Amino acid sequence: MRRVLAMSRKEVLHVRRDPTMTWLAIGMPVLLVLIFGFGVRFDLDHLPVAWVDLDGTRGSDALREELFVSGELVLAKVCPEVECAERAMRSNRAVAAFVVPPGAAADRERGEPVTLQLLVDGTDGTVANAALANAEALTTAASIAHDRRPPRSLVRTVIRYNPRGESAMFLLPGTIAYVLALVSVLLTALAIAREWERGSMEQLFSTTVGGLEIVLGKLLPYLLLGMFDVLLVLAVGASVFALPFRGSLPLVGLASILFLVGMLGQGLLVSIVTRSQMLATQLGAVSAVLPSLLLSGFLFPVENLPWPLYWLSMIVPARFHVGLLRGALLKGSGWGDHWLDLVGLAAYAALTVGASAAAFRRRVA
Amino acid sequence: MKTIVVERLRRTFGNFVAVDDVSFAVEQGEIFGFLGANGAGKTTTIRMIIGVLPPTAGDATVAGFSVAREPREVKRRVGYVSQRFSLYPDLTIRQNLSFFGGAYGVWGQQLEDRIEQVVHAVDLEGRLDDLTGELPGGIRQRVALGAALLHSPPIVLLDEPTAGVDPRSRRRFWDLIRTLAAAGTTVLVTTHHLDEAEHCARVGLMVDGRLVALDTPDGLARTWVPGRMFRVDGVAVHRALASLRARPEVIDVEPFGAALHVRTHDAIDEARVRSWLDPAAAVSRVVEIRPSLEDVFLAVAARGAA
Repeated sequence: MRRVLAMSRKEVLHVRRDPTMTWLAIGMPVLLVLIFGFGVRFDLDHLPVAWVDLDGTRGSDALREELFVSGELVLAKVCPEVECAERAMRSNRAVAAFVVPPGAAADRERGEPVTLQLLVDGTDGTVANAALANAEALTTAASIAHDRRPPRSLVRTVIRYNPRGESAMFLLPGTIAYVLALVSVLLTALAIAREWERGSMEQLFSTTVGGLEIVLGKLLPYLLLGMFDVLLVLAVGASVFALPFRGSLPLVGLASILFLVGMLGQGLLVSIVTRSQMLATQLGAVSAVLPSLLLSGFLFPVENLPWPLYWLSMIVPARFHVGLLRGALLKGSGWGDHWLDLVGLAAYAALTVGASAAAFRRRVA
Repeated sequence: MKTIVVERLRRTFGNFVAVDDVSFAVEQGEIFGFLGANGAGKTTTIRMIIGVLPPTAGDATVAGFSVAREPREVKRRVGYVSQRFSLYPDLTIRQNLSFFGGAYGVWGQQLEDRIEQVVHAVDLEGRLDDLTGELPGGIRQRVALGAALLHSPPIVLLDEPTAGVDPRSRRRFWDLIRTLAAAGTTVLVTTHHLDEAEHCARVGLMVDGRLVALDTPDGLARTWVPGRMFRVDGVAVHRALASLRARPEVIDVEPFGAALHVRTHDAIDEARVRSWLDPAAAVSRVVEIRPSLEDVFLAVAARGAA
């Protein structure tokens, strides 16, 4: 145990001495939370839309104000004719354009149905859908306001857990898993491969430190660092984005430890196999970081993956952790809902640590 | 008392035989030197003796423990300074020493005391908080030796400890080695510097994985470079070169700086050599010398090539 502690203490000294390590461990998690919280948005509002007014009356001006007052669509340009709006869309200054036909204001005044045309730039499907949905919602609202009569509807929708559909709420829990995968795999890959590269591994073998003691001594500080990162991401999420924590803290803690051990084991494995810092980081990125980003349900629902990738996602531990974090943070789900995820995480941790211990023992000989 | 006993040690890597049937023994307190070209198997032999590399066949007993069966007991009793500088350059001397102490299971007050003693022994007082990576090579090697001594091992193995170190630091390092041996520590050292091997009580010569010669430096010289050797000094000795080479009693003549090394049959003495010399050579001195380890090394290499 003393030898393990001596190993860990040395590792802490390395981390403290190396600004890259500090940046990886503290700067990067914060940056990633801010990027995924602010930068990556699937909910699109403030879309720039042009307004082609072929009517040109005071009534059509009033209609324009009514539609743009909410700010969900932003008035990009007022055009006297369609060609001007087309130009705005070609130069990316507008993603869509309303076309008000002549006489529209007068028809509206008389209570007759008015049809506006909506031109949409379909280049980016997501943006086009968002513009379409926003425009439809606004025109419906405008006609309700005008008729002062609620529409008849057969379905009343209630959205739970993330009622405003904010993508920050959707992304932030998964960010924890992604940050842990990134930081832990890269840090261990670097830390172990460096010992091979420097030749200090040979010196370690000549001492009475055992292989398991080297592995444990190396993993312990990074496990603590990873748990610190969990708290860091939760704190930034709560303070900057009002990310809720509705579920059980011990559940999230245990799952994060299991996930971390799995990822640390994987980082260890790639560095034992490659013995080079550069190869180890690349192999770590491909085998752990990319799957955690793309095959975990963090950004894209796993249900939409083509079937070979869907089955592959079954062995990506981040998939279990992302699901568990989302449930525990947003839905307040508990141990009963996530025991299967825990089993998956534990199995993966056992697998990678076991494999790296075996690989290590073979390498020593 | 023999502290290292190597018996028919063999190690292969695939089809390559790195160490082939090597046997020797080292006495307690002896300085034992290992000579040989790169790739001759010196480092592989040492790695087996310190318990890092299991032998393919044969065994070595270090302080009474088998390296094949009890490598951990062996490691407890051996200090190792490897060919590559293997301390952590981003840590200070103190941090390196306390880590390696911890790695050997030395802890707490005992560790503090040992660091103090070791730092005194390798003469690094006052430099404890220097960053190891910023030290010149000679001082680094002393830190590495200090790190290998923390657990008070009775046996120390040094693999090319003075490679890339300036001559003054090399001399200082060898003073340390002699002090260690005088205090009873057994030292096994490999080196490229043939002048350093003269400091060893006995020297083993490895060629292509085999131990081809093992004796004291004097013994090696007698066996491998037979006859007598004379050093001839003079202002114009080169004028005597051709006539000396023509004599049947002379085995070999080599220019050596401003002098000649003349090797003859056993019956020849200084006076005979002097009588052969042309006055034009303006010889000032003829003395008998012992063949150097360089002569031995060349003779052994020539034998290996033949």
